[in-house]
Amino acid sequence: MWGAGTRFQLPTAVFARNTHVNEDAVVTTTETSSSSLIATQQERVPLYRNTTVIKWVLQVIVLALVIFAGWFFGQQAADNLAQKGVQFDFDFININQGFDIAFGIDANPDTGGRALWVGMVNTIRLALAAIIVASILGVVLGVSRLSNNWIANRVSSIIIETLRNIPLLVQIFIWVVVFQQFGRLEADTPARLGGLLFTSARGVSIPRIFAADGFYQWLIWVLIGAVVARFVYKNRVAVRDATGNDTFAGPVAAGVVLLFALIGWFAHRIWGFLEVPLQAISDAWGSVPQSIVQILLSVLAIGGSALWIKRFLDARRTPAGLAKLTDDDYFRIVFSVLSAVVALVFFWVIWPGLSSWIVNSGSDFWQVAADKFGTDNQGNERTGGPFGFAMPDVVPNERNPNIVQYNLEALTLPIEFMAIFSALTLYTAVFIAEIVRGGILAVPKGQTEAADAIGLSRLQALRFIILPQAFRVSLPPLGNQYLNLTKNTSLAIAALYTDVYVVGNTVINQSGRVLSVFLIWMAFYLTLSLIISVVVNFFNVRLAIVER
Amino acid sequence: MSISDATQAVSEELAARDDMIVCEGVDKWYGDFQALKGVTATVKEREVVVVLGPSGSGKSTWIRTINRLEVHQGGRILVDGVELTNDTRNIEQIRSEVGMVFQSFNLFPHLTVMDNITLAPRWVRKQSRPDAEAKAMELLDRVGIPEQALKFPGQLSGGQQQRVAIARSLAMEPRVMLFDEPTSALDPEMISEVLDVMKDLARGGMTMMVVTHEMGFAREVADRIIFMESGEIVEVGTPQHFFESPSEDRTKLFLSQIL
Ligand SMILES: Nc1ncnc2c1ncn2[C@@H]1O[C@H](COP(=O)(O)OP(=O)(O)OP(=O)(O)O)[C@@H](O)[C@H]1O
Ligand SMILES: [Mg+2]
Repeated sequence: MWGAGTRFQLPTAVFARNTHVNEDAVVTTTETSSSSLIATQQERVPLYRNTTVIKWVLQVIVLALVIFAGWFFGQQAADNLAQKGVQFDFDFININQGFDIAFGIDANPDTGGRALWVGMVNTIRLALAAIIVASILGVVLGVSRLSNNWIANRVSSIIIETLRNIPLLVQIFIWVVVFQQFGRLEADTPARLGGLLFTSARGVSIPRIFAADGFYQWLIWVLIGAVVARFVYKNRVAVRDATGNDTFAGPVAAGVVLLFALIGWFAHRIWGFLEVPLQAISDAWGSVPQSIVQILLSVLAIGGSALWIKRFLDARRTPAGLAKLTDDDYFRIVFSVLSAVVALVFFWVIWPGLSSWIVNSGSDFWQVAADKFGTDNQGNERTGGPFGFAMPDVVPNERNPNIVQYNLEALTLPIEFMAIFSALTLYTAVFIAEIVRGGILAVPKGQTEAADAIGLSRLQALRFIILPQAFRVSLPPLGNQYLNLTKNTSLAIAALYTDVYVVGNTVINQSGRVLSVFLIWMAFYLTLSLIISVVVNFFNVRLAIVER
Repeated sequence: MSISDATQAVSEELAARDDMIVCEGVDKWYGDFQALKGVTATVKEREVVVVLGPSGSGKSTWIRTINRLEVHQGGRILVDGVELTNDTRNIEQIRSEVGMVFQSFNLFPHLTVMDNITLAPRWVRKQSRPDAEAKAMELLDRVGIPEQALKFPGQLSGGQQQRVAIARSLAMEPRVMLFDEPTSALDPEMISEVLDVMKDLARGGMTMMVVTHEMGFAREVADRIIFMESGEIVEVGTPQHFFESPSEDRTKLFLSQIL
């Protein structure tokens, strides 16, 4: 039956037969039980004892209470604020707040919205950098704490136990003091590590690699390379499966991407023509009338709701036909319809401007994309390479040659950033280390023994058995640490780093719109947290071990 | 003395076969505690040896030294003529020839039944995937659960899991199978389905060393029974000799407690 060389197939016949038997069983039991139930249902139940009625009434009451409470407190807050002369609007987003921001993508933001955006970017940069470095450091610390090497083991234990037990705020202050020890930046401030690093009260300056002129053209080559690599990878895996010899699918695929990156390095200019179609898309997008977008959004809302209901009903369909829905199921369906209605009201009545905003920013997005090809801001052809590289240096200030500064092309990390970054990274890294250690220890000893007993090598056991299971155990608490870190970035104020919280405070002082900025903060942190949760959950679901 | 009695009990036909496992004066310490005290025994080709003994007598420790899950400190262990030393090549060779089934199954919970079985053949024996999967289906057929191939271990009953574990060991085509209380973690109604598979294996001529408390199995299937206590072999003999006329007092005491 299973001749050598034939690909093994799912024994569908067995499954199919089993399900059939089950179906029959279900059908018969339903019939018998329903016939015996009819008699009892004939009896009349008083309304106040009928569970269905009770449930619906309760549900409606709760819904009404929630709506009323929301309306009541909103009204009260608005009244109080109005009495105190506190205004609640978002006008400041488009008004110049007249303050500078020490670090960020824009030193003199021309509107309040722009200023908040600078703060948001600073927060995201801080969180992202800290997450990456803390993860790497955490894995290293966690693994060395488990290692048999006595020194590595002791050193990491001491680091972990110390940092874990000092409050984060105290650590931030310690790092602030540490970095304040850096001297003034002078023309003769020495370069360290052979010119790779400058340190001073102005911050730490390190080399920077940045996307240059030809970066996006080059990126297209890499994307094509990635697609080709995918096919090559699949082919290599198939060959390995067919012959049993390791074909190094991973390294070969990586090599393919590298090859395309290399070709792109020299041939990236050929994609310049993409400017035309991208510009066309931008124009087309910009000319869409607002009502069309509104209609599309409405279709999306109604369609989404309808699709959800359909899926919901499908999931409850038994082989014998549509199953009886419980009252809770009806609530969910009603709720889904209600959400669609609310969305429609939102798109057409509350904020019709959303549609034109989508049109404009969509058009802007494609415009920016088009500008990355073709010619640059000065109308020059893009002839440079995909990357630029700058070494740190100390140069005279353009306006006042008597003072010196770091050159702007290199990456300069102000000491405020360094202090909060160091504190957050180390503090989170030790918790990640404990999670990694726990994850590896959580893999039962029997797993290693079984791997040994079937003849796997150390490395194969680690790769196929230990690490996949350790990673599954570590992932949820790891996600938690990322969330904590992201929220802890708001302690940046202790180091005077201009994150979204610090900038928001200044906006409040300038504009007096406390409530509005509060709402923006909430929405921002909520969005960041949701993104992290969704990413972690995605992997979590994909990797979940199937139990009964 | 008792050991020499036992050697006489071995039939001439058995004595003429090749040695599969040879243990000579094997010692094992956990710190100050000596778990194995000069264990000497030989398992012949196609022989089924059942190891009995009270809890803590060193049965698991002994059987685990045979594929190097535990390191022995004194004496010699040879499997199919290869001596277990610190040489990793010897260890790997012996491990790929010796299958082991654990009390707690130790299936890999993140892999399907099929992947559990084909992992080692594909990566250690370098078999092609179709070959490995065809072989795996054959083995699953043999242990009676071909329809579970694509499930995960967590979706199977204990008896089914243990049968997968046996199939996983057999996939490496071992010359010897070690069983450490394979049915102790199972509900009574699942014990027989695993024992049946083991009996089948024994009939097929597999060399087996089985630690178990299933006296019925020992009586029916074993060629010889080895009785251990406190890290020593106390008595060796055929099931008939062992159950009906044991020569040692300690053996009699043990049998009176369990039967
Ligand atoms: N890792 C260890 N460290 C220290 N002592 C151990 C270790 N493993 C086993 N021992 C000891 O060695 C002795 C033999 O243990 P072993 O597990 O081999 O017994 P067993 O005969 O298999 O018993 P059981 O029937 O309960 O499984 C016991 O006294 C036990 O306490
Ligand atoms: Mg034991």
